[in-house]
Amino acid sequence: MRSHNLRTVISFEVHRTITKRRFWIATLIVPLAIAIVFGLVVASSNATQSSLAAQKSVNFSFAYHDASGVINKALMHRLGGVELTSVSTGIGEVRAGRIDAFFEYPANPIKEQIRVFGKDVGIFNNSKYANVATELLQASADQKIASAKLATLARGGVKVDTTTYINGVTAPGIKGLVPPLIYLVVFYLVIVLLGNQMLNSTLEEKENRVTEMILTTVDPNTLIIGKILSLFTAGLLQMAIFASPVIIGYVFFRSSLNLPNLNLSNLVFNARSMSVGALVLLGGFVLFTGTLVAIGAVMPTAKEAAGFFGVMMAMIFIPFYISSLIVSHPSAFIVQVFTFFPYTAPVTGMIRNGFGSLSPIESAILIVEQFSFGYVVLRIAVQLFRSGSIEYTKKVSIRGALGMRNTKNQRS
Amino acid sequence: MSSATLAGRSEALVHIEGFKMAFANHVVIEDLSFDINRGETFGFLGSNGSGKTTTIRALLGIYQPTAGTLHIDGRVFRPEDGRQLGYLPEERGLYKKESVIDVMVYFGRLKGLSRQGAKSWSLQYLERTDLADKASVRLDKLSSGQQQKVQLGVTIMNNPELLILDEPTKGFDPVNRNLLMQIIEDQKRAGSTVMMVTHQMDEVERLCDRVILLKDGRSVAYGTINEVQDLYGGRTIRVRYSGTISDSPHYLVTLRERNYAELKFTDSSDESAILRELVESGVEIREFNTGKLSLNEIFLRVYGGDNSTKPI
Repeated sequence: MRSHNLRTVISFEVHRTITKRRFWIATLIVPLAIAIVFGLVVASSNATQSSLAAQKSVNFSFAYHDASGVINKALMHRLGGVELTSVSTGIGEVRAGRIDAFFEYPANPIKEQIRVFGKDVGIFNNSKYANVATELLQASADQKIASAKLATLARGGVKVDTTTYINGVTAPGIKGLVPPLIYLVVFYLVIVLLGNQMLNSTLEEKENRVTEMILTTVDPNTLIIGKILSLFTAGLLQMAIFASPVIIGYVFFRSSLNLPNLNLSNLVFNARSMSVGALVLLGGFVLFTGTLVAIGAVMPTAKEAAGFFGVMMAMIFIPFYISSLIVSHPSAFIVQVFTFFPYTAPVTGMIRNGFGSLSPIESAILIVEQFSFGYVVLRIAVQLFRSGSIEYTKKVSIRGALGMRNTKNQRS
Repeated sequence: MSSATLAGRSEALVHIEGFKMAFANHVVIEDLSFDINRGETFGFLGSNGSGKTTTIRALLGIYQPTAGTLHIDGRVFRPEDGRQLGYLPEERGLYKKESVIDVMVYFGRLKGLSRQGAKSWSLQYLERTDLADKASVRLDKLSSGQQQKVQLGVTIMNNPELLILDEPTKGFDPVNRNLLMQIIEDQKRAGSTVMMVTHQMDEVERLCDRVILLKDGRSVAYGTINEVQDLYGGRTIRVRYSGTISDSPHYLVTLRERNYAELKFTDSSDESAILRELVESGVEIREFNTGKLSLNEIFLRVYGGDNSTKPI
């Protein structure tokens, strides 16, 4: 019967969540925004490419003054450039409309700016003068080097492949870092997206005065677990919808969006760090949701619960303020505190697990702590919900609600 | 529809003994004991704050009692037993943002009905209560009376063996109140045991087999309506008169107001003998009748601070 009721609660909660207009507005606004940004990027990219193509075909008259001695005069002459000895003359020619552009190359182009003067052709097309002036300087420098290979090296076009070893075995490096950190992303998304809904979900029973009806029909543990699972289901749906424009953009518009070609087969999935990450994620989820349920049961309205919700959110963002310390000095005192303080532990633990600085003993302690605290908090939350949520209009005394358990049990 | 059954059989479906409830140092219920027999309709009466809702919540496991035994069908209530229970709490409410039919089917499923069974029963109920066209409407779009009817439907949809109604007619207009009374009578005929909290004494007299009166967390009367009436004076003579009436060996004056008195028999004298005695003592009788105190009168005297009529 318990599983029947659990299925019924999940089905009802999922149905009423995903049939709400508010859910779809919140869910669709993110992919819509991403799609709009992608659309603008694609449009901009097309415009840029058109502009570059146009710039290549456009011939505009120009003159130049070279104090650096780098400019190849033959190249300039071939492209129609006229050398002037006076900067003011060049500027005057542009102003008078007799030439389209004038480039002034300084004595030391590394330290000083190239000054470009041109006939205004609109805010986007004006960039062609700077592009051409720069390309002419680079082409002239390449010709002085007189070697395409050296010229490429001088521009820093070098690829490096680093291999490191741990106990004689090749270390995974960045390829092994990414997979366990995915748990961190999932944790953030789940808590940020679902936390508020979890808080409101239990508050709703109270605000609707439905607690007594529901508590005499379904076990509160079943109800709470059903709510958590249904919100998790709704959250997965949200995440899938959020991810859809990114996946569609990557698969169909990768070149237009200038997205890098990700070769996922290069990622290294370490069994230990993946297992630890999954368990810390699960334990952290139980702890945070249990706490949010407890807050919902104690507070009379969503408005009053919002302040506490802010504190919970701060708990998952605070570790980021010391993220560089977490990565570089995992044994530092503050990092140790954050690793084992229950509400900062999930984020800190998952970062350290990703970077490989969480020892097996620390991992074990952290996981046991998360699940133990999560279990205790969830039990307290259910008890608060049971006795606290029928205090419809006032804030519940936690001591009072929990203290009722200490009264003499009834004879059975 | 056949009534659901609980395991085990004894005459009392609800058994409360030595129940005490205290919040911090404040004692709300003190040593309360009573039974509700199978198939009877039981009136649970008392003024506001006398401990009725607290007793129901403790009986249903929402509150943990400080002491005592509270059993339904021989054991402490668990939510799993909710399939045999119909509970209409004093604090009314359902999921207001959901449609009527969705909420009814949800509770029907939790009470053990199939989805189709719950839907079919709900539609029939809505038809009977003139809400057929509201099935797909959100609950918060209904009037409070219509919401109450939906909530009553949710309460009885599993055809429960035990029906606990905490002020069921609160907020109902006379038409809907009559409809609700009919529904309760139907449930009673179908074999449900009904425990009803109400301040409407005419409802109690119409429906209840036995009652208990609570005052300040203690029972002040318990039994059939006749037994309670006997406890509060039994057969009473009401007299409108002029002159002076004093106690006699055959009666006591239990209530004396200006030109009005109530007399309680102290022996087996009949009313004509007492009438004769009053006339012979010089009392001018304007109106003379006999009968028992109504529950409403008893209620007013118990909770209105009028101590002229004490239980015998």
